[in-house]
This record gives sequence, C-alpha cells and structure tokens, in this order.
Amino acid sequence: MSGLWNLATVERRSGVLTPGDTLPQLFLNAVAARGDAVWMREKKLGLWRAWSWREAAVAVREIAMGLAALGLQPGAMASILANTVVDWVLADVGILCAGGVTNGIYPTDSASQVEYLCADSGTCILFVEDEEQLDKLLAVWPRLPLLQHAIVFDMKGLGEFDDARVMSLAALRELGRAFDAANPGEYERRCASRGPDDLAILVYTSGTTGRPKGAMQLHGAITWTLRQIGVHLPQVQGDERMCFLPLCHIAERVLGAYSSIYSGAILNFVENPDTVAENVREISPTVFFAVPRVWEKFYSGVVIAVKEAGRVQQLAYRWAIGVGERVADCVLARRPVPQSLRWQFRLARFVALDNVRKSVGIHRARYLLTGAAPISPDLVRWFMALGVPMLEGWGMTETCTVGMINRADAIKVGTIGPPIEGVQARIDAATGEIQLRGRNVFAGYLNQPEKTAEAIDADGWLHTGDVGEVDAEGHFRITDRMKDIIITAGGKNVTPSEWENELKFSPYITDAVVIGDKRPYLVCIVMIDQENVERFAQDHDVPFSNYASLTRAPEVLALIQREVDKVNAKFARVEQVKRFWLLDTQLGAEDEELTPTMKLKRKLVENKYASQIEAMYRA
Amino acid sequence: MNSAAADEILVLTNVESAYGPIRAIRGVSLKVRRGEIATVLGSNGAGKTTILKTISGILDPTRGSVHFKGADITAGDPAAIVRRGLVHVPEGREVFPLLSVRENLLMGAYTRRDRDGVARDMEQAFAYFPILKERLHQEAGLLSGGQQQMLAIARALVAAPELILLDEPSLGLSPRLTYEIFEIVVRINRERGTTVLLVEQNASMALNVADYGYVLENGRIVMEDRCAVLREKEDVKEFYLGMKAGGVRGERRWKKRKTWR
Repeated sequence: MSGLWNLATVERRSGVLTPGDTLPQLFLNAVAARGDAVWMREKKLGLWRAWSWREAAVAVREIAMGLAALGLQPGAMASILANTVVDWVLADVGILCAGGVTNGIYPTDSASQVEYLCADSGTCILFVEDEEQLDKLLAVWPRLPLLQHAIVFDMKGLGEFDDARVMSLAALRELGRAFDAANPGEYERRCASRGPDDLAILVYTSGTTGRPKGAMQLHGAITWTLRQIGVHLPQVQGDERMCFLPLCHIAERVLGAYSSIYSGAILNFVENPDTVAENVREISPTVFFAVPRVWEKFYSGVVIAVKEAGRVQQLAYRWAIGVGERVADCVLARRPVPQSLRWQFRLARFVALDNVRKSVGIHRARYLLTGAAPISPDLVRWFMALGVPMLEGWGMTETCTVGMINRADAIKVGTIGPPIEGVQARIDAATGEIQLRGRNVFAGYLNQPEKTAEAIDADGWLHTGDVGEVDAEGHFRITDRMKDIIITAGGKNVTPSEWENELKFSPYITDAVVIGDKRPYLVCIVMIDQENVERFAQDHDVPFSNYASLTRAPEVLALIQREVDKVNAKFARVEQVKRFWLLDTQLGAEDEELTPTMKLKRKLVENKYASQIEAMYRA
Repeated sequence: MNSAAADEILVLTNVESAYGPIRAIRGVSLKVRRGEIATVLGSNGAGKTTILKTISGILDPTRGSVHFKGADITAGDPAAIVRRGLVHVPEGREVFPLLSVRENLLMGAYTRRDRDGVARDMEQAFAYFPILKERLHQEAGLLSGGQQQMLAIARALVAAPELILLDEPSLGLSPRLTYEIFEIVVRINRERGTTVLLVEQNASMALNVADYGYVLENGRIVMEDRCAVLREKEDVKEFYLGMKAGGVRGERRWKKRKTWR
C-alpha cells in the first residue's frame, strides 16, 4: 500500500508509445500493435460490450470507405452531432482516415445553432445520433445547400422514414465494404493523403459572447501534443479510463479519445450523463480526467454522506482525513513524510479513507487530472488527503488541451504548473496576460482572419486572455480571465473567479457569477445544487413545493448567506460580496445560460437577469 | 390566523412517507383552500395515493405534518379524522361487496350519531345518484363498476364531510361514465360547498374540473398552479395531455427533457 510519498507510478516517462505524425497513421500503427486487445467498452442493456482494436479498425475502414463512396473528398468537412458514444469515436476516426476533417456539434445545441455550425464549417456530411438529433437537421436542411448526406447511428423510430439523403451507420458501412472491394488500395491512399500540416479537426469554442469560433487543429499539432501528454500524464495499455465529457470539447477528444489511441488505455463509455457517478464506481478508472464540477459533486456527495453517518463513523472520517491532510501537507511542502505518520496514514486508509475512495470510485486511480475550469485549492487538497494525487492542468481549445500541468513530484496547489515540455510561456508585462508559444498552438479560426490575428501575434505568441502570475519555480497561477476583471466604482480591480471558486466549494452551490463592474459593491448570482439544498430543506422542515419556491425559502436564503459569509471572511473588504440572488429556474444543458460544460455564461447571465441585479443594488 | 391561512382547509408540510425502505413521497408541501377542487396529477408510482393515505391517517408519515382546519392531524386515528370532516374515497372503490347498498351507506355514517342528519344526507346522496336508490337492497358486489364508484362517493357523503379525498374515480370506467361522475363531483362541490382533493391519472379530465393543480413526479411536486395555467404549460401538454408537436417528420418518438417551468 503506497501513499502520496511514493509517486513513482506517476513518474514522467519519455519515448514514443505509438508513432505517427497524422491521426490516421497513429491509428493504423495502434491497431497493428494492439490487435485483439480491448480499446473501448460501452454498456448496452446493462451489459458491457468490448470493442477490440481489430474490430474498431474494421468499422473505421468501412466508415471511411463509405464516406469516400458518398463523395467525401480529402480535406472536406464532416460533422458529428451526438452524445459521447462509441460510434462518435468510430465516425471521427473514419472521417479522418477518409482524409476528411471532423467537426463536433453539441447534442444540446438547438436547430439554429446546428445550422450555423454546419454552414460556417462547410459541412458536407453530418453524422447524427438518433431521430431527435436528425429532426434538428431536417428543420434547417433546406438552408444548408452544401450538406449532402446524413448518417444516423441509431435508427429507432425511423423505420418508416424515407429520404434518400439519410442512411443508417450500418448502411454506410455496407456501402463502404462494397466500395472497398471495388477500389483496392483506396483506403491506404486516403489514410496517407493527409500530412502533419493538414487540418484534422475543427473545434468550436463555446463563445460566451458572439458566435462560436471554429478553432483549427492540424494533424501534426495534435500528434505532437499527444506525445507531450504521454510524457506528463503517463498511461499504458490496459489503463482504465472513463469517456463521458462531450467529445466535441477538445479535452475529452484529445486527452480522452486520441490519447487512448496513442497509449492504448481502455476507454469506458458511460451510459448517459446522469449515470456518471454509478459508472465511475463500476469502472473504477486508473487514470481519471474530469472537470471541477464533477470533482465538486463527488466531494459534496461524501460530505453529505458523512453528515448522515453515525457518530463513530463521523469521528473516524474526521480523524482519518486529518491524517491524510497532514500527509498531503508534507508532500506539498516537499518534506519527507515521517515514518509514524505513514503508519497512521495506513490505519486511516483502513479505517475510513479507502471506503471514501471506493464510494467515489477512485480507489484504483493512480492520479486524477483536473482542468477546463478553475478549481478550488481546498478541493485539490481534499483529494490529496485521500491519498490520490490530483494534477491541475490548464489548457484551452487553442492550445489543443494541455498547455501547462503540475508535475506529480512537484504539485503546487492553486497553480496550473509550468508549461509542458516544448512550450514557452510568458507574462505580458503591461497587461499581465499569459502568452504561450509552441507546436500545440492552433492554426487559427476558420473564416475569421481578424480574430486569428488578435489571438496569435506576429511572433507566434498565443494571447490566452487569462491573466496570471508566475513564481520562481516557473509555476503559473491564473488570477482571472482578462475580460472578466471587475473594476468597481471605487476604482478597485477585483478578480471574480477566485471568490466564485471558493463559493462553489460549498456542497449547496453549483455555480456563481460575481457582478460589480462600475458598481459601488459586488453582488452575486448563485445557482444552487438542487439535490443537496432539497435535502437540507427536508432535514430542516423547510416547506417548499418546486424549485422556485425552494430558492425563495427564508431558511435556504439563510443557508446560502452563511456560505457566502464563510467565503467573504477569506477576502478583503472590497472583494466581499454584499448581496446575492438565487437563480429561480432549474437550468439544464439546453438552456442558453449554461455552456455545454455546464458553466454559467457570465455576460449572458448579466444581461438576462439585469432587473434582478438592479434590484440587488436598490435594496 | 390571517384570512389566507383560514382559507386553507388542508395544509401538508414536507411530508415524507415510506413503505419500508422505499420512500414513496419525498417531501410534499401542498395546500387545499376551502371550497375548491384541487388535484394532484402524476404517473403510476408518482406517490399520489400515498399522499391521500397519509392525509387520512392510514399511513403514518416519517416526516412532516398534516393540518386540517388548523388542527394537527399528522398520523392521527383514521376514524377520528373522519369525525373531523375528512373522508377518503379509496382507489378501486372498496365497497363492501356482501353488504347491500343501504348497509354500505350506513357504514359511511358509522361515525355519526344524529339519525335525522344521516337520513337527510342519504336522501341528498340519492339525489346525486338516483340509481343507488333503485338498487337500495341489492348487494354492492353485484353493482357495475360505475355504480360502485357512485356508491363509494355516496358513502363518503353520508359522513357529512367538509373535505373529500377522491382517489382515481375514473379507474376502469368508460369515458362516458367518467364524465358523468366528474360532473356530479363538481355539483357536489358547488352545491354542498364540499372541498375536494382529487387524484387522477386522467389529467385532461382533472384539469378541466379542478381549480388548482399540483404535478407530482417521483414523490416530489415539480409544478403547481391554477389549472387554467397548468393546461397551457408545455410540459403538461406533452407529458400529461398527450399533445405534442409532430416535428419536422410529422411523427416523433423521442421525448423532450422535462423542465417544469
């Protein structure tokens, strides 16, 4: 039983796991090396079904040839509109092996967004998950002259539907089989048709203001980044990973799907977004990447469970987590962990921590990786106290995921670590903006040369829009997004995200937006965690009927006030939030207020709830 | 007590009820105002019947309180609750099959001592349901389903209730009979001033007769409003009234996500 003091399992390793300068090459080499080993698993009707590399390769070849038969030319665009499922990955690799370019569309997007993304990207062929997604396309298809064909993964409910332009994935594969037999050598020619400098994928940034922008990623940049990920985030064939975040997002695409092609780690697909918690326990991943929202959920689940546990269990948990925190403190301060503390930690694991880890599903995890949004330092410390190293990284669509990452042997909580090997980073003296230069920087926004010029300067430095600082050891720390910085009426610069992240650490709060630009003081819009606040209301006999009445209950307001006060205590007077308002509608991924990664969109929320904000200043 | 509170004849606050380890209702708060017909809509297993059983004292809640006419009746004795003027017409009628119609009605008057009053109420019940008078000496088990439902409601009336809990009166009845029974329920409400809490799966019927409605899902109330408003809500239309836009293809299998706004 090892502990945090022995992080040899997370040590960096160099050397190329799978060669290849383009994604098709990488995939072909991966299949040749791994053959009948398991690549992906998905749960169908309650049973896990495995896809070996060889099976997947057959599917990919048929899809690629089917696309060729439909007339997809090398360099042409195909889009995928689906949830995170195995077919998504097969279609993606199939498009790439046909020489095409893949663009992902969020399944929560509306028909008009689908129209914009298809039109802007110049999509010729669209893969859709099922009839629900197909209906979005059918509503806007007349306005998309370039779009020739739609391929449906799941044909349920479409038995009667007849449209020559729409076919099932099975039919496409059949078409591909026939085309392949008639055109020997075409598949290999297509796979080799792309070079490292050719466009591979298009990833639209969620765009909190204005239309989404399509960031272009080249084959060479992706494969280079994958090799760097292999160095900093070691995984090997047989590692168990979860695939559950949207694949249209760069993080799950590159860190999840593509890096498993590179390393051979097994991708386990969750059944649907609501079953993530159960599936984590089932799969118990050995390497686990997730966004802060997921970690917050795990943490608040444990906190609530402890609250409901018996007295003895509570005491055991408190003692054990205390020991874990002391171990984590030693490791973080890079002091040796005293032998007596090691023994105590072993006992603590036996008494409580192992059970906590099992209840979350991280008992086999060698390390956890967090990114894509800021995380509260206390949360990182808590996972470390459980004895699992958590590496915070930073990246953006424009850096092909990871730009900076904490090294396991030098974790600094609250920082995003130094840049990955081969990437330079600096802080602009005038603005404090973090700037980055390296092979992983994207090739520009499709159709938007001015925006590209704003993002990448003449010397190749990417302007990240994040403001931060760097310490003597080269660890970077983000303070805020440049455009989010608040200047109060008193002329004080405030970075809202630090306060927001502290508040999100509360089990009762999912997200928050601090407001106060050109205002006398700061106020905040809070989105409560429905499940936990409901439980609180039940336990304290607070009457409520629906969500809106829950957010108006005086006891709930008092509860949130206490959480706000707790966070305020950590900040200077001008940075404290004076008033808050609870969002009274229950938001889902389809709502415009949330990004597909379930973060509140600051600008949109500010505009949409202007009257409530005004009320907070009047009161 | 202010006038609004005096108006509320029945108040449930955070009621939780369970069958063993299974929590059927998970924190229900609702109010029924005097003289109105309130309804609780919900699919199978949503917890509708459990709410009624908890109110009438058949089931003791694990948490929360039930107030009737300002008095706490949580987990009270069912007979005592009937004496206070709250009568439960259970799902599936539950008439006494081997007793005659008359005897069944007298069972409803079990808690009463004023014979004149009982006789008067019995006559009134026959005015609503003339068929019962014709079958007065027939065994209740030989009545048709609709007649049994009428008997169950009439049996409740002879207890001289101020509030009737009506559990799925349309169960197993033809649309025409359902319509007739609902018509009489409305008449009872309007003429006698009896408050009704109606639980129904037939959402369209319930929304037409009731004044105020609650939507129950998985043991929790997700929406409440005046029925006129509820009828116009997108989610109620799609999931309870079976009205949905056909979509671009004219047919649609997938269900949209419920948002309950």
